[in-house]
Amino acid sequence: MTAYILRRVLYLIPTFFGATFLAFLIIQMAPGDYLTQLELDPKVTPETIARLRAQFGLDRPVYEQYLLWMNNLFHLNLGYSFAYQAPVLEVIWPRVLNSMVIVIPSTVLLYLVAIPVGVYGALRPYTLGDRVLSFLAYVGLSVPSFFLALIAIYVLLQIKFATGTLLFPVSGMTSSGFEQMPPLRQILDIAWHAVVPVLVATANDIAGLSRLMRGQMLEVLSQDYIRTARAKGLAERAVIYKHAFRNAVIPFVATLGGLLPGLISGAGFVEVVMAWPGITPFFLDAVANQDLYVIAGFLTVSLVLLMVGNLLSDLLLAWVDPRIRYE
Amino acid sequence: MRKALWLVGLLALGGLASAQTFVWPQKWTVAKPQEAKRGGTLRAAVISDYRTFNPFITAEATNVPDLISGGRGLVMRDPTTGNWIPYMAESWTVSPNKLEITFKIRRGMKWSDGRPITADDWITTWRIHTDKAVGSNSYDSFFLDGKPITLRKIDDYTVRFIYPKTDAEAFAVASFEPWPAHIFGPVYQREGAEGIKKMWGLNEDPDKIVSGGPWLIESYRPGERLVLKRNPAFGEWNKDEAGNPLPYLDRYEIKIVKDVNAQLAEFLAGNIDVIAPATVDHISQIRQAIQQGRLDATIKVNASPVASSQFMVFNWNKASDPFKQSLFRSDKFRRAMSHIVNRQAVIDIVYGGLGTPMYSSVYPVLTQWINPKVPKYEYNLQQAAKLLAELGFTKKDREGYLVDSKGRRLEFNLATNAGNTQREQIAKLIVDEAKKVGVKVNFQAIDFNTLVGQLLSSGPDRPFDAIIIGLTGGGLDWPFGANVVPCKGNLHMWNKSGQCLDPRETQLDALYSRGRAELDFEKRVEIGYRMQEIEAQLLPVIYIAGPNYHPAWNNRLGGEHPDAIISSIWGQRELELTFIKK
Repeated sequence: MTAYILRRVLYLIPTFFGATFLAFLIIQMAPGDYLTQLELDPKVTPETIARLRAQFGLDRPVYEQYLLWMNNLFHLNLGYSFAYQAPVLEVIWPRVLNSMVIVIPSTVLLYLVAIPVGVYGALRPYTLGDRVLSFLAYVGLSVPSFFLALIAIYVLLQIKFATGTLLFPVSGMTSSGFEQMPPLRQILDIAWHAVVPVLVATANDIAGLSRLMRGQMLEVLSQDYIRTARAKGLAERAVIYKHAFRNAVIPFVATLGGLLPGLISGAGFVEVVMAWPGITPFFLDAVANQDLYVIAGFLTVSLVLLMVGNLLSDLLLAWVDPRIRYE
Repeated sequence: MRKALWLVGLLALGGLASAQTFVWPQKWTVAKPQEAKRGGTLRAAVISDYRTFNPFITAEATNVPDLISGGRGLVMRDPTTGNWIPYMAESWTVSPNKLEITFKIRRGMKWSDGRPITADDWITTWRIHTDKAVGSNSYDSFFLDGKPITLRKIDDYTVRFIYPKTDAEAFAVASFEPWPAHIFGPVYQREGAEGIKKMWGLNEDPDKIVSGGPWLIESYRPGERLVLKRNPAFGEWNKDEAGNPLPYLDRYEIKIVKDVNAQLAEFLAGNIDVIAPATVDHISQIRQAIQQGRLDATIKVNASPVASSQFMVFNWNKASDPFKQSLFRSDKFRRAMSHIVNRQAVIDIVYGGLGTPMYSSVYPVLTQWINPKVPKYEYNLQQAAKLLAELGFTKKDREGYLVDSKGRRLEFNLATNAGNTQREQIAKLIVDEAKKVGVKVNFQAIDFNTLVGQLLSSGPDRPFDAIIIGLTGGGLDWPFGANVVPCKGNLHMWNKSGQCLDPRETQLDALYSRGRAELDFEKRVEIGYRMQEIEAQLLPVIYIAGPNYHPAWNNRLGGEHPDAIISSIWGQRELELTFIKK
């Protein structure tokens, strides 16, 4: 097992270099750079732009920029944001934390809801309940999250117009005067703001995951050993939860690795639409501005987490699935 | 003991009395000073996040340093007249050769940390802005034709600006906002530009940010909210006509809301007080909410055009295609193209009827600069066809497109930046109208950076035919672009060969320099009128139309501008004179 882990870790090294170089290359292949916007400003002279380009190192060849960046990376420095004129980590980190306020509850909620819903559907296939859930799942799958967020805002506003009270905030993460609140009120305030974004962020994923769970469960339930277990006279509860469920859930363990980078990659367009100060709007800004090192730095952190996550899920898989042995 | 206290009190009063106050004229607001109430919070929203508190490296149009300082310096403009008036200066004198302006600085002004504001602050600020290594966005504004504008301290309360030549924008240069020399000076001396760049980042403790303007930073939550609080030191020398210290508001809170729909929702829910909706849909939603009594607010539809331009530019440098090059260089051809631009349709379709047609490089909102007698070449397909016929395009080919005697088809490519739906719609309208007279226009939406790359490429052969793009940034003092009009300018987009190709370009170039150096406003306007006449003959770019400005506010706010001055230039109000009614 130790040898296996060691080998896996060693494989990660070339993967890391290959992936970062590719990412860097692709970012650089986009036409223009951070200063292109400035070129259409009638007040800025071309000399000034050339000077800034030299200052940011954007006039050097790509491989040189990459090596310089790698060198910084080994000193645990992700680089410098052009737009913020500050270290990348310093500007990214608060956003990642904000995103986690949505991502963690929504992930927990996702598994709490999707798995039981999937199991329910598999145990009573093609009944009215299953059909209703299936229908809702397809609706959830087909409505993009940004649109769902807009609908949520619309509904909140209509309720406000009708009753005069705002059930949940239409945007943002904190209320006015947040800084003056006592700590407990601050936590409650953030929680109150998070309700709608968490629900919207979860809604989409529930559909997919519960469908997957239903399919897995149906497949396992049709296996011979389940029939055998039932024939043996085992209680239905034990058949379903001890034999079927444990086997059906194995593929999900493999996806757990993906959760790790998911934690820092934000809740997507919900954040943009509901003005949640997470990583998604920030990253979109960086892409639009071609803020090179913010993009590269963020991709690198995601990459490392993805690699670590995959490693962990492989190990977990070995632990839950007795068929896998590393020798 | 009591006597001593009295004495201290008297001395303090004496000190206050000697502060030279700036009285904010009553005519700048609809409210009378006695109506104004103190206290309360103004709530607004912006689309993009703030990136730094540092005044020397900030690069955004709306930024924290401008907010807290009020964006004003020695002089400011009177919104009712557009004239420069003394602000942090008490008065000024201009030298007989008009190359030096000496400003007497108002006494009694203080930084928020209690230190006096003096000539040193201007000198240090100017030094840092003009240090190449700092990379300040204001760097270029301290140079005239590549020659530096210098500042000299005469005494603590006198500072002299020395210009390399006479300049219409001299006061605009002098209006830059000062920053505290006692904070930035020592760091600059010790660590130079690198030290300055590290100062006042977003992680800086807001209490350490010193301001000379109306606001101080109370708190900032990245991507979320900036909260400003009143700077009491500002109120010591900024008063209303009744002698009340300004600003009236306790706080100014700015939410960062990246989505315009969410901003609208916040306004409709009464969570923010001011908004300037850009689309017809948003305007009608606000109107509806007001009419149905769900929102107590005011909206001024079509208050003025916005200060920006949208235009189509043809490439004069196409050595690889002499046919197109001679076509694009022909003013007759460009005039024909102006005749096919259906500006009213652009306004109706693209701006939902809420826009203004454009015919000259001067933004329509700068009314005193617009020469009314200049020909406009409005939408007229017959006229376009006639002009094209004069160019030899009389026959049509099988597909219905015009060809000349050698059978060459009248066809060009038109590009704009993908994602700008308004420009894409304009382009499609042009394609349709052009087809009606037999001109084939191939429209393509391309990446913004690629487009800018093509537009700003130079030399005899550039890689595009025609582009739709826009500019902002023309000023009230001299509305012509410093690097647009001169033939060597990097935004002289139609011709980047590096020299004037048409005698009228040479004329414009010369008039530009003359106007920029003319200090008499009336004479300058005359030169501007003449330039517009030549522009109309040459038609280097074809102006299309622009959207209008529609400010709206919640009626809990008081102190907006009188209707006559609400515009995209002056905005809906002076924050200093804004108050909360209820």
